[in-house]
Amino acid sequence: MSSEPLQAAPGRLRALLSGGLRATRAAWDWFRELGHGNDSEARSQTLLREWLTPEQLAQYDAYHYFDVTGGDSGNRYRIYYGTGTNIHELDEAGRPKTGWCFVPRDCLAAGDVMLAQKIALEANERVALAIARSFAPRWTAR
Amino acid sequence: MATQIVMDHTGDTRHTFDPADAKALLKAEQRFKELTGAGFTAAARTSAGDPNVIRTFDPKAEETLFYPRLVGG
Repeated sequence: MSSEPLQAAPGRLRALLSGGLRATRAAWDWFRELGHGNDSEARSQTLLREWLTPEQLAQYDAYHYFDVTGGDSGNRYRIYYGTGTNIHELDEAGRPKTGWCFVPRDCLAAGDVMLAQKIALEANERVALAIARSFAPRWTAR
Repeated sequence: MATQIVMDHTGDTRHTFDPADAKALLKAEQRFKELTGAGFTAAARTSAGDPNVIRTFDPKAEETLFYPRLVGG
């Protein structure tokens, strides 16, 4: 039995891994060029934090969500970290009553999505809810 | 200096301009019209820090934020 395949294996493995690394790096570069890398996420979080009130910021840092008050109804909404199905309307006891989903049309990082949702609910609530789809919120804490 | 912040796939793009410069102001107004015409919503903050949706260009706004049209998810 020839040992050639085994002897050649390290070289072939190295070539395979090297090719794989190149492909992975190219895919990552492409991914980042599209703005989906950590940079866009970090920038969106910075922008979000600039626009949150001190109370919202403290809440976000502690729980990864923040509450907003609807500009038209005075109802309370909780915006969770995320890019979709991340808004719960709260009842008087602070329990989730209705889930709402509306997002910017373009593909944006989570901080940007959450900031657009905050502004829409605080400054343009009726329009936002007219666009939004509702869903039954989960009762367990996220 | 004033800033127009446009949300995009990189996070955001910031355009800074001097409101005392008539040419820069005109360019900022043009950008405002182009973005809102393309479906972006413009928001500025009141002196109390509350967000306010604005429909027309405000030359006195220190910071204007633009986010893309909202759609149901």
